[in-house]
Amino acid sequence: MTIQKACVVGAGVMGGGIAAQIANAGVPVLLLDIVPKDAADRSIVAKGAIDKLLKADPAPLMSRAAAKLITPGNIEDDLGQLAEIDWIVEAIIERVDLKQDLYRKLDAKRKKGSIVSSNTSTIPLAQLIAGLPETFARDFCITHFFNPPRYMRLLEVVGGPKTRADAIKEISAFGDVMLGKVIVHAKDTPGFVANRIGVYWMQAAVTATLDLGLTVEEADAIMGRPIGAPKTGIFGLLDLVGLDLMPHVDKSMAASLQPDDPYVKLRRDWPLLNKMIADGYTGRKGKGGFYRLNTEGGKRVKESIDLKTGTYAPSTTARLESADAAKGGLKVLVSHKDKGGQYAWSVLSRLLTYAASLVPEIADNVVEVDQAMKTGFNFKRGPFEMIDQMGAAWFVERLRAEKMGVPKLLESAAKAGGFYKVDGGRLNYLGTDGAYHAVERGDGVLLLSDIKLTAKPILRNGSASLWDIGDGVACLEFHSKMNALDSDSLGLLKQALDHVGKKMKALVIHNEAENFSVGANVGLALFAANVALWPMIEDLISQGQAVMKAMKYASFPVVAAPSGMALGGGCETVLQSSAVQAHAETYIGLVEVGVGVVPGWGGCKEMLLRNQPGPRDPKGPMPPVAQAFETISLAKVAKSAAEAKELKFLRPTDGITMNRDRLLADAKARALKMLADGYQPPKPAELRLPGPTGKTGLNLAVHGFALQGKALPHDVVVSDALAEVLSGGKTDHTETVTEDHVTKLERAAFMKLVKTEGTLARMEHMLTTGKPLRN
Amino acid sequence: MSKAVIAGYVRSPFHFAGKGALTKVRPDDLSATVIKGLLEKTGVKPEDIEDLVLGCAFPEGEQGLNVARLIGMIVGLPQTVAGATINRFCGSSMQAIHLAAGAIAMGAGQAFICAGIESMTRVPMMGFNPMPNPALAEKVKAAYMSMGETAENVAKKYKISRKEQEEFAVRSHRLATAARQAGKFTDEIIPIPAGKENVVSDGCIREETSMEALAGLKPAFDEKGSVTAGTSSPLTDGASACLVTSEDYAKANGLKVLARIKSSAVVGCAPEIMGIGPVAATERALKRAGLTIKDIDIIELNEAFSSQAIACMRDLKIDLEKTNLDGGAIALGHPLGATGARITGKAAALLKRESKQFALATQCIGGGQGIATILEAA
Repeated sequence: MTIQKACVVGAGVMGGGIAAQIANAGVPVLLLDIVPKDAADRSIVAKGAIDKLLKADPAPLMSRAAAKLITPGNIEDDLGQLAEIDWIVEAIIERVDLKQDLYRKLDAKRKKGSIVSSNTSTIPLAQLIAGLPETFARDFCITHFFNPPRYMRLLEVVGGPKTRADAIKEISAFGDVMLGKVIVHAKDTPGFVANRIGVYWMQAAVTATLDLGLTVEEADAIMGRPIGAPKTGIFGLLDLVGLDLMPHVDKSMAASLQPDDPYVKLRRDWPLLNKMIADGYTGRKGKGGFYRLNTEGGKRVKESIDLKTGTYAPSTTARLESADAAKGGLKVLVSHKDKGGQYAWSVLSRLLTYAASLVPEIADNVVEVDQAMKTGFNFKRGPFEMIDQMGAAWFVERLRAEKMGVPKLLESAAKAGGFYKVDGGRLNYLGTDGAYHAVERGDGVLLLSDIKLTAKPILRNGSASLWDIGDGVACLEFHSKMNALDSDSLGLLKQALDHVGKKMKALVIHNEAENFSVGANVGLALFAANVALWPMIEDLISQGQAVMKAMKYASFPVVAAPSGMALGGGCETVLQSSAVQAHAETYIGLVEVGVGVVPGWGGCKEMLLRNQPGPRDPKGPMPPVAQAFETISLAKVAKSAAEAKELKFLRPTDGITMNRDRLLADAKARALKMLADGYQPPKPAELRLPGPTGKTGLNLAVHGFALQGKALPHDVVVSDALAEVLSGGKTDHTETVTEDHVTKLERAAFMKLVKTEGTLARMEHMLTTGKPLRN
Repeated sequence: MSKAVIAGYVRSPFHFAGKGALTKVRPDDLSATVIKGLLEKTGVKPEDIEDLVLGCAFPEGEQGLNVARLIGMIVGLPQTVAGATINRFCGSSMQAIHLAAGAIAMGAGQAFICAGIESMTRVPMMGFNPMPNPALAEKVKAAYMSMGETAENVAKKYKISRKEQEEFAVRSHRLATAARQAGKFTDEIIPIPAGKENVVSDGCIREETSMEALAGLKPAFDEKGSVTAGTSSPLTDGASACLVTSEDYAKANGLKVLARIKSSAVVGCAPEIMGIGPVAATERALKRAGLTIKDIDIIELNEAFSSQAIACMRDLKIDLEKTNLDGGAIALGHPLGATGARITGKAAALLKRESKQFALATQCIGGGQGIATILEAA
């Protein structure tokens, strides 16, 4: 059985978010909730939830089309539809009695053999199925999503002793391939994996702050990036998730753990927290939390609470040498003598020891635990990877020196030389049996980082490398800072095209950085402009155009496989590849106007081609031009791969992969399929463009926006140059022009703009602030 | 020689373009339904009709080709009834009436359908392929100026405050609301089938609008200006139609005559203040009729924008009490090609309803023109 249709019961934040992600995967989902008393519309709760999904930011839905796959209903009238549902997710209030009532109702109507799962985060599976029929228990498991379900990658799957093995397999495969989640198989223990360790971390971080007398700023300066946690640190994170959540989580953990569990011993009542909650200081959703914005007197002043007195004062920047020293690694941080170093050691020594004591109680191996913390709490490294970074032997030695307990697994790692080892080209982990085992990647998972463990690049320079990913397919990896493209990136792409043309079969462009590419290196352009090195800039434009053209017309398929941001030049690379396999979370756009220029590496030309009218669209020379003008002049960025198709950055035929770990394999498979189908490069297109009349028309529209104050003076300058390019320069709509004609116009427009004050100001502002200048 | 008379007036409900009830209705179908309604209501013999003259401001796409002829086929008019599509932008369907009156005067026909259509949803303002002449755009800056900008120019030139404009807009909505509540539109509106729905009532009137609500709007066209969406007529989908015949034909066939057409005029003006067009056109039409503005009892002055309507009233010394008795385009909507036949037909109908002697229908036209028609009780 495969899951063709799903149902989510409980249309709250989690239920709605889970339904949205199922819909994002293209699977129809029924969303049910109760019928409110005296409701005229009996499905009003689920309908309201869908409305909220459409408005929420960040968006839980990847496209408006996905919203249409969610059908609202209620648990009184619509249970009959369960006969067609393969997977039912329960996401209602955390009360065993209510959940069990619901399960009985669902069990009476559900399809035989369908899977039922709970999104509980606090109730053991054993309690949930107590007293329910054996047939129900066989089909039941826990699927614990993290909030928000679209963006948090972790999905903990918990089976009980009665759960069918194939049900777990089925849900895990669906969660992985279709929902794009990292599956962690957790045991039926309190808090499962991520919350068990994450909540301990939060408790330890707060307790140590109080014990060592740090300020909130100091604590956050250490407990964020320096230890590899999200930059909010601990108090910023509490403000974000809501202070009022903490007493609930603490109570539930303390009640369900054994009395001798380190968490129970560590936790303590904290009167300040209770007082803050009582006073409405519940965090960002309330009046503020450990930090607040004081807007008295019309100014916005960021303030922090004094943990001793509970009063607020303007925030200060923490000055801790240890925070800077952390760049040298965790070991340097925890060895530092200042209070930041002491703080880091105090928290990490407890946290990592605790984690090591919990395997195999909460999960079978260390890999699952590391994955859970990386994907559920956004840690850069999992606890065992952190220990390896410090050196397991060193870590154990220091624990011993400080008379702290050393769990058995940690001891064996110290002896063996760490939790992870590369052996025979594969990554291995230390098992509870004391032996190393290969880290298994699922079928269809191919990671560049795995290949890089042992392989040497075919080609390499400072900005990019070319790797052999097998079966005659090469992978071009960008690896400059933020993957900004420069002459080296382009140079390596050119070399890669030559190499693959001679010696291999196909090329994939992919990397595992946060962003595929944020675009051309603006810093270089600004530097060259400041010293009037115009030929250098023009050369870079020409080089880019030539390489992109060579890529587009290569005799073999070039498949771009972007994830994260693909902006400006990164977008142009995607646009001019033979095909795209995009991660669902890809954010594509031509944002050049933000730095005062126009797309210069073929982006304008491609958007004209992409916007050629379909059979149902209005004809004539203007609609494609106007559409491309709108997309580029407003620097529209698609907020998902699905939206990128709507904006025409992706073709209808381009593929979307939900799970990032599967992206490279999918892209490679696509390239091989294109080869098998007898790949032929595209024929050069000819364009019929309006010429000066088109430019006049576009400028009239921009004039209107300028009057309205929506277009600022330099917007008008940039738009004028863009209009010149998109309307085709001096052509006439009775004639056709080549792609080269348009790229030549791109180059001329770029060079004209880069010599204006307004554009240089925009570039400088972007480099110094990271934000576009409005001038 | 027989005078031309207006012997019937109908229209569709008017709805917001892009979001109203008529967005899915093709303009040719919309117009055909309205014309069928006109034929039923007047009882005119279709075979007697010389021509279907249809005004449309953006005659392309679904309003393209010679859509008047095609609409005749949809209606099922006899093949002998000719069809012509006329474009004078906002004045298009008033021009259709003038053409019929002229033809009647020269004995070139005795009955005409003078209709107007605009689906501003389905054919955008400026059309699908705006292709202005670059040299002209350079030479005459205002040749392609947006209507909103001209409204701002008029507001500035005539020093019309935002508050005055808003008072005028509120009045329009108030009168339209009252007229609808009193059932004063039921006579003129032809229900339009739209999918499963039957659209019977106007969609643009904001019954609840107030000075406070309008004061909260941002300027729509110039961030430093005074014209807002609330003091502009909305983009609208709608159709209208009048039956214009010779007075002799109407008598002989027992048609119900609403008014006689006494005179008409068109005249150009500066494009950057096109909203002032009605002033010269009205003066010219009055002169031809041998009347002064004081003689006029009923006035339909198109409300493209509050600012231009107020400016015209000021220059022409028009009495507000006589003007737009059932509300104007700010409340009802302004489907460009359909407005001329609506306000001329409305003026004729009001003349009869209020038992008055003379009426004026006049409107401004993008590009810098005015058009006016003087009617008298038949």
